[in-house]
Amino acid sequence: MPAHRRRIALAAATTVLVTVPGCGLITAETGPNTLTVADYYTAEPGNTALTEILRSCGEETGVTVVREVMPRSQLVPKLLRDGAADTLPDLVLSDNPDLAKLASTGALLPLDGRVDTDGFYDSVLAAGSYQGDLYGVAPGVNGLALFYDRRVLADAGLQPPTTWDELRETAAALTGDDRYGLALSAIGTEEGTWQFEPFLWGAGAELTDLDSPEAETALTFWASLFADGSVSSSALNWQQSDVAEQFVGGHAAMMINGSWQLASLDAQQDVDWGVVPLPVPEAGDQPATPLGGEVWAVPEGERQERAVALLDCVLAPDNMLQWARLRADVPAHPDVAARLVEERPDLAPFVASAPSAEARTAELGTGYPAVSQAISTALQRVATGQLDPAEALARAQREAADAS
Amino acid sequence: MTMTPRRGPVVRIFAGSRRLASRLAALPNRASTAKYKLRSGALPAGRHAPLADPRTSKRQTLARLGFYVPAVLYLAVFFGYPLAANVVMSFQDYTVTSFYDGGAPFNGLANYAAVLGDELFSTTLWNTVVFTVASLAFQFAIGLGLALFFRRHFPLSGVLRALLLLPWLLPLLVSGTVFRWLLDQDYGVVNHLLLNLGLIDDPVPWLVSPDHAMAAVVIANVWIGIPFNMVILYGGLTSISPQLYEAAALDGAGAWQRFRHLTWPLLRPVTSVVLMLGLVYTIKAFDVVMVLTQAGPADATQLLSTWSYQLSFTQLHFGQGAAVGNVLIVIAMLFALVYLRAVRREQAGR
Amino acid sequence: MSTPHPRAGARRWALTGLALLIVGVLLFPLYWMFNASLQPSHELLSIPPRWFPTDPTLDGYRAAFDSQGRHLVISLFVACGNVVITLALAAPLAWALAKFRLRFAALLLFVLLIVQMLPGIVKANSLFQLYSEIGLLNNTIGLMLAQSTLSVPFAAVLLRAQLREIPAEVVEAAALDGAGAWRTFLRIVVPMSRNSVITAGLFAFLFSWADFLFAVTLTSRDAITPVTVGIYRFVGANATDWNALMASAVLASVPAAVLLVVAQRYISVGLTGGSVKD
Repeated sequence: MPAHRRRIALAAATTVLVTVPGCGLITAETGPNTLTVADYYTAEPGNTALTEILRSCGEETGVTVVREVMPRSQLVPKLLRDGAADTLPDLVLSDNPDLAKLASTGALLPLDGRVDTDGFYDSVLAAGSYQGDLYGVAPGVNGLALFYDRRVLADAGLQPPTTWDELRETAAALTGDDRYGLALSAIGTEEGTWQFEPFLWGAGAELTDLDSPEAETALTFWASLFADGSVSSSALNWQQSDVAEQFVGGHAAMMINGSWQLASLDAQQDVDWGVVPLPVPEAGDQPATPLGGEVWAVPEGERQERAVALLDCVLAPDNMLQWARLRADVPAHPDVAARLVEERPDLAPFVASAPSAEARTAELGTGYPAVSQAISTALQRVATGQLDPAEALARAQREAADAS
Repeated sequence: MTMTPRRGPVVRIFAGSRRLASRLAALPNRASTAKYKLRSGALPAGRHAPLADPRTSKRQTLARLGFYVPAVLYLAVFFGYPLAANVVMSFQDYTVTSFYDGGAPFNGLANYAAVLGDELFSTTLWNTVVFTVASLAFQFAIGLGLALFFRRHFPLSGVLRALLLLPWLLPLLVSGTVFRWLLDQDYGVVNHLLLNLGLIDDPVPWLVSPDHAMAAVVIANVWIGIPFNMVILYGGLTSISPQLYEAAALDGAGAWQRFRHLTWPLLRPVTSVVLMLGLVYTIKAFDVVMVLTQAGPADATQLLSTWSYQLSFTQLHFGQGAAVGNVLIVIAMLFALVYLRAVRREQAGR
Repeated sequence: MSTPHPRAGARRWALTGLALLIVGVLLFPLYWMFNASLQPSHELLSIPPRWFPTDPTLDGYRAAFDSQGRHLVISLFVACGNVVITLALAAPLAWALAKFRLRFAALLLFVLLIVQMLPGIVKANSLFQLYSEIGLLNNTIGLMLAQSTLSVPFAAVLLRAQLREIPAEVVEAAALDGAGAWRTFLRIVVPMSRNSVITAGLFAFLFSWADFLFAVTLTSRDAITPVTVGIYRFVGANATDWNALMASAVLASVPAAVLLVVAQRYISVGLTGGSVKD
C-alpha cells in the first residue's frame, strides 16, 4: 500500500508541477511594451481610481501598465532594494516625505522641463523637490481638517471650534458615556507625527528644534486633550483609517483626518458630518498643515521616456480632475481645484490650506524619517504619562540629533 | 517501527509529532524507546556499525555524497550567505545611497557603539528578556497542563486535541489582527467580559498603555504558542510506558508523586527540546508585536527584533539595524550552546 | 492512545465537558473572527459587542473571494512546492546524519539548530539581493526556496531523530540484497518512517502557508502574491474593511481547518475501531 500510495502522490505532484507553469503560477512576466508602476494604493477608492487612470493613459500613450501594489511600509524598502538590484519599476507613486530619500540615491530622473507643471501650486512643487531639483509631481494633494458630527454638535448647542481653546472646551463638552469628544491618530509612526505637525507648526515650532518653548506649548496643548479624557488613549494605536471608523461609528464627535476620507464618508449613511479647517492657536492665525499625498517619480532607465509620457497624461487637467474627484484630493493646479470645489464644496477647507501647506521634508530632507520617529515616540511618552512634554521633547531632540 | 495496518495517515501525523518530541532530543532514550530497543535487538540506536564496508566503491561514495552535499550547499546559500552579508553590513556605514551605488565605507565598530550606547538598548534588551521568559513560561505551563489533561482518555479527546492546534496553524498576521481587536480598550470583548464579571472597574488599556502593552503581546504570543508546546509534550507523555504508571500506582504513589517522580524526570529531554525551540522562535518574534502594538506605545514593547527592523527600514540606518540583528543572533547562540552542553553532559553522565 | 474503558463512563464525559470548555475558551478568538466576517463593518465597533451575527451579511466573503481567490491558489501552490523541496532536501540529509557516521555530523546538527535563530528579516533582505542577481524575484519557485528555510532545518532535525531508530539489520539486509544507498533509502527507509515524513511535510506546508515576511519581500506583482500578503493589503492605509478582512482571514484558515477535519475522521475511526496502540 505505501508504495502504491506514493506512486499516486508522486504522479499527482508531477502533474501539478508540470501543468501549473502553464497557468502562470511561477512568474508574472511582463511584455516588452510594458511599464511597471509601484504604489501602495491598496485600498479603495484609490485602488480602482489608479488602475482606471493608468489603463486609459496606457491606451493613450500606447503601453501596457502593470501595477506592483504593496503595503505602505513596504514601498521604500522595496525601492531601495530594487535600486541595489537595478530592477526599479518604471514609475513610482510614493508618499511625498519619502521622496527625498529616494532622490538622494541618485536613482530618480529630474523632471524639470520634462513634464508640464505650469501653474501648479508652489507648495506641491516644493514637496516634490530635493536639493532644488524636481523629482516628484503630485496630481493631487491632501491635508488635514476637522470633521464634526453635525447632530451631536447641534444637540449640545455648540459651533465647530476654530481655536485651540475652543477645541479643548468643545471636545471636553462633547465627551460622554460611550463617545469621545475628539478622535485623532497618535500612532507611533509617521501617521502620528503628521497629525501632530499642525499643532507643532501652529505654535511656531520647527522640526529642526524640537525642544524649543514653542514645541513645548504645542505638545502641552496636545497632551491636555488626552489628560481631559476628550481623546481615547486608544488613539495611540489608531491609524487614520481607525480614526475614521471611530467617527463613523458614532464613538467620536469630531475627528482630525484627511481629505481622502471624504469619499468613504460620502458612502456611509450613519453620520451627518461637516468639515472645517483645523483650529489655530489664536483666532485669525493661518492653519499650518503639512502637505500630504503621493508624488509620481520616474526612476532613470531605458523606458524613462515612455514613463514620462505616461506621467504627462496622468497630469493632464481632465485626468487630474478625475483622479482628484475619485480620491477626494485637492488637484495640484489651482484652476482644476476651483472646478472641483464647485462640484463638492466640502473640499473647500482643504483647498484653502493647500497653498500654504508645508512640505515635511523641506528643511530636513533625508533627515526627516529619524525626526518623525523621535516625534511620534515623544507623543506616546507624553500621552501615556511617562514623561512630561519638556522631558519628552528634550529626549526627542537628542534622538533626532543622534540619528542624523 | 513497523506499520500497523488500518491507520489513516493523519493519525500518523500526530503519532509522528509524538516521535518528534522524544526524538528531537536525540538522546539515547529511556522508557520511550524501550520498544525500539526490543526490536533493534542489542544494538542501541545510533551505535551501529558503519553502513558501508571499507571497500566502498567510488560510485557508492558518490551516492552517499548525494545525500548530504545538496543540503549542505543549500545551507550555505540560504543561511550562510545572509548571515555573512548581515555581519559585513554591521561594520559598514550603509545608507540609502549604498543601496543604489553599492558603496558603503567600513566604519569599524561605530554601528555597535551607536547601538549599545543608545538609550533604547537597555530597554529593548530588557523587553526582549521579559517577553521571551514570560511567553515561554506560560506557553510551557499551559501546554503541559493541557497535555496532561488530554492524556486522560475520554470521548472526543482526539478531536478536541486536534482542534486546539488551530491557533498554531493560522498565519500570524491573522491571529495578531484578531487579538488587536479583542484587546481594544473600548470595543474589545476582553474588557467587556472583565467589566461584566466585575473583575475590573475601568477598561484596561491593553495595547495603549506602557504598563499593559507587554502583557497584551505576551498573551497573544502565549496563545499562539500553546499548541506547539502541547503537541510535543503530549507526544513525550504518550511515549512513557503505561506500565511504569501502573507499577507506581501499585506502589501507592499519588497523582502528584507520579508526576513529580515519574512524569517529570522522564519528560526532561522533551521539556528541554520544547523550551529550546520555544526560545528560538520567541526571541526573534516580530510579526505579532508589529501587528499588535507597532512596538509601542512609547517603545514599551520594543524588542531587539522590532528595533532592528525600525533602525533599518524606518530610520534607514541599515548598519545599525544589522548590528542589532547580530546581537540577537549572538544571544540566541549562547542559549543554544548552553543547551547543547547540558545535553552532552547528560549523555556523558548516562 | 488506548481503548476507553467502558466503566467510569460518566466521569469520562465530564472530562469531555471540561475539554469542551477549554477548547471553547482557547478558540474564542477564532469564533470572533468568524463572527466578524459575517457582520457589516460599521456594526463591528458597537458597544456592547455583538456576540452573534444577528443580521449576517455575506458581503465580506464576496469581496474576499473576488480579491483573494487568486492569492489562495498561489498560496496552495507555493505551500505544496515547499513540501516537495523540504522533503527532498531534509530527508536524505537526515538519513545521512542519522546513519552515515559523518565526522562533522555534530557540527552540522549544531548549525541546523543555530540557523533557525536567524531573524527572518535578515534572510529576507539578503535573499532579495541574491534573487535580483539571478532573476528569482517575483517567482514562486524562488519564494518556495526562501520559505523552505523555515522548514528544512526543522524537518531535518525531526527526521534525523526518527531515522536513527531504524534498526541496522533492515538496512544491512537491503545491502545484502544488492540495493544501493538511494534504493534502500527510498524503498525501505522512507516507507518505514512514513509517519514522520508526513509530519515534516505537514509542517512544511503550514510554515509556508503562514509566511508573510518572505512573501512580502520577494514578490510584488499581484498575480503571484500569496494570501497572507493579500490579506495585509486589505488593511490599507486609507480605509479598513474589517468585515472583508475577517472573511479573508477565515478563508485563509480553511486549509488548516480542513487538515484538522480530515484528522478528526481518522482519529474517530481509530477510537471506535478499537486498539490504536503506539
